Amino acid sequence: MNSNVKKLGITSTGGIGAPNKKTLVIKNFKQLPKTSDTFEEDSWNKLLSAIQSIQNKQPTIYTQEELYRTVENLCSEKLYSNLYQKLEFQIDKQTERSLLKLVNQTGDIITFLHLINMCWQDHTSQLIMIRSIFLCLDRTYVIQNNQHLRSIWDLGLYYFKHYLLKFPDLVRKVNIGLLENIQKERNGDRIDSDLMHSLVKMLTALQIYNTFENEFLIETDKYYTIEGGQYMNDNEVPEYLKHTQDRVNEEYDRSIRYLDPSTKRPLIAVVEKQLIERNVSNILSKGFNNLMVENRIEDLSRLYSLFQRVNAIKELKVAFGGYIKQVGQSMINDAQKEATLIQDLIELKDKLDNILELSFSKNQILVYSLKESFEYFINLKSNKPAELIAKYADSKLRSSNKRMSEDDLEVVLNKLLILFRYIQGKDVFEAFYKQDLAKRLLMDKSASIDAEKSMISKLKTECGTSFTEKLEEMFKDIDLSNDLMNSFRDSNQFSSIGIDLNVYVLTGSNWPVQPPSTVELPVEFKEYLDVFSQFYHKKYSGRQLKWQHGVSHCIIKANFPLGKKDLFVSLFQTLLLYQYNDKSEFTIRELQESTKIEIDAIKRNLMGLLNSKTDILLRRGKQKTQPLELDDVIEFNSKFQHKLMRIKVNSIQSQETAEENKKTNDAVTQDRQYQIDAAIVRIMKDRKALNHNTLMTELFTQLKFAPKPVDLKRRVESLIEREYLGRDPENPMVYIYLT
Amino acid sequence: MKVNITKWSSVSTWHWDVNEECCGICRMQFDYCCVDCKVPGDDCPPVWGTCNHAFHMHCILKWLNSNQQQQCPMCRCEWQFKSDQK
Ligand SMILES: [Zn+2]
Ligand SMILES: [Zn+2]
Ligand SMILES: [Zn+2]
Repeated sequence: MNSNVKKLGITSTGGIGAPNKKTLVIKNFKQLPKTSDTFEEDSWNKLLSAIQSIQNKQPTIYTQEELYRTVENLCSEKLYSNLYQKLEFQIDKQTERSLLKLVNQTGDIITFLHLINMCWQDHTSQLIMIRSIFLCLDRTYVIQNNQHLRSIWDLGLYYFKHYLLKFPDLVRKVNIGLLENIQKERNGDRIDSDLMHSLVKMLTALQIYNTFENEFLIETDKYYTIEGGQYMNDNEVPEYLKHTQDRVNEEYDRSIRYLDPSTKRPLIAVVEKQLIERNVSNILSKGFNNLMVENRIEDLSRLYSLFQRVNAIKELKVAFGGYIKQVGQSMINDAQKEATLIQDLIELKDKLDNILELSFSKNQILVYSLKESFEYFINLKSNKPAELIAKYADSKLRSSNKRMSEDDLEVVLNKLLILFRYIQGKDVFEAFYKQDLAKRLLMDKSASIDAEKSMISKLKTECGTSFTEKLEEMFKDIDLSNDLMNSFRDSNQFSSIGIDLNVYVLTGSNWPVQPPSTVELPVEFKEYLDVFSQFYHKKYSGRQLKWQHGVSHCIIKANFPLGKKDLFVSLFQTLLLYQYNDKSEFTIRELQESTKIEIDAIKRNLMGLLNSKTDILLRRGKQKTQPLELDDVIEFNSKFQHKLMRIKVNSIQSQETAEENKKTNDAVTQDRQYQIDAAIVRIMKDRKALNHNTLMTELFTQLKFAPKPVDLKRRVESLIEREYLGRDPENPMVYIYLT
Repeated sequence: MKVNITKWSSVSTWHWDVNEECCGICRMQFDYCCVDCKVPGDDCPPVWGTCNHAFHMHCILKWLNSNQQQQCPMCRCEWQFKSDQK
């Protein structure tokens, strides 16, 4: 340590509020004369006066440089032990003095907070000044003995904490003051957040923040326990949610503005627990359904984000699913609204999808809950929804649905397909769809063949090729028929007929066919069909044709006394009107006898001709509302007028009759029986012997529809009667496959 | 009044000219094809033996191929295709 030239790089590493990094370079300073007797005392006096000036907030007589050197000289003479003790004593006493002033301080608690904050600010800034003078002591003596000595900065903090804890009530008052201020702020008053911030920093620096934090969290918990109960009672759910959201934001903001960063998480957790978690079931039972009914997107998304904070999505799922089931169930069971059921369900689904997307950020648990709930309620009523879905598709694919663009139609069909996906009885859908498709194709009622084909390919994607095979065959039959008709039209036979005859020749097993009707055709009509039959047999020998007159339709020219009209009518209507070529009135009985059309069909077809808009025929002496009777007299309307030249009278033909509906349903039931029988035989052939319950379980997994256990049992009994199966003589609950 | 038909859209279904409803081998109606085919039509016609029993062509061929005796499966008489059919 004797070198004349020293080069010291000094980096201050003090605690909070320490001066910035600086480098002191000291060169060529002369060796001071060897210590005089008073050297140590003189030096200390000089330093003491500086300390006192700093503590009294007065300027020092000596320059900073001079004071620094004085300390350095004492240190180089290794006199630091004394020096350290004297300095420590000064810090101790000064801290005691200034904190003592705050004891018994009257005045309100906020004034106290200001005073203690000032005291703390003075204390730290003085400490920084003292440390810059005594830096050398820190750098030599303290470092060498850092096991048991505090740095100057730490001395300052140590004594401040010591007296803060020692003097009665000081710390308590700080904590109480802080908590009171926070409560004021929560109740809507403005407070000095800089003061709060500074005092929190003080507690942190003195490492007594934890005590405050604990009390703060307990207070917060109490505050929000009360608020969570009261606010919930006094307000509607949307207000409550909004308030809670605001509270969470406020507390978050508070933690940023003046609390220690570590408090943020436990603080938010307390708010979440008391305002959200504790009220999850209250919120759901008190207001969730309303929010759903009123489609309150914003409130629902607030609810979702709050629930997500406390992992209450499961509870939300239950409420969401419950709401859907409840709404869906009442829609399904409302027989009055059957006509609009599918449209209503599509709208419900749209609304829920919208909520899922905008409010529930497409949460997978909730998306699944929607699917599950739809599947639940839509299958509560077996068969009917499947039938209505098929009919809805029909209404959209019909030419009468003119207002819709191809693109819009695609959208609607896609939505319909989603409902279709939820349905268990897809065979019911298929049967009705087929029925309606047949009518659209055979009566030229299809809006667009492209749309038809697009729907078929959707169904294929959804249910597989075997589902749509039969439907596609129907299109093939139509194409084949068109080709056939083209060559027929080119033939000599065609020109001999004299009317525009078109014939669809269908493969019987592809189409829903009616039993052949034995109507009485006029001679020339029979001739027309014979001409075609001869043409057909030349192309396809070994085949016979059966005529489906019920779906046959015509255009006839009618000479009314008041003008000529073209009438679009069913074949049956044509046959009825032909009667009036000879005579102007008939009873219904007479019409039936001469045409041989079945009586219900006569009545149905007459309705179109008696209709007030197209009253080609009139019923004598009866009200329109009275049902048709066999003895009613139907006469030709000689005053018939219509503004159009071409009049459609056959809309009745494409409508479904009750009889058809029953037939379609019966066909499905019949087909299901075959499927059950086939499945039982398949399983038993494979397993040879099975007890009743195992067989039932197997059947439930293999069958594509949900069978009733009673029906299954009946089929098993039928198979036993037909000797496909037998019962085990030892155990009647075990079935045996008989070969 | 005088009405006259000008256009007629008629609908018919075709069926095989067979007396029996079902094929004696696969038990399917003749309006349906045999179990190996997908759609009814000229690809899967019915055929008759001289005994007048009718089967899907595919069904009887399969039967004759898998049996030593060339017999009609219904009446056990010697199988011969009836000649006046197409
Ligand atoms: Zn066969
Ligand atoms: Zn075949
Ligand atoms: Zn035979």
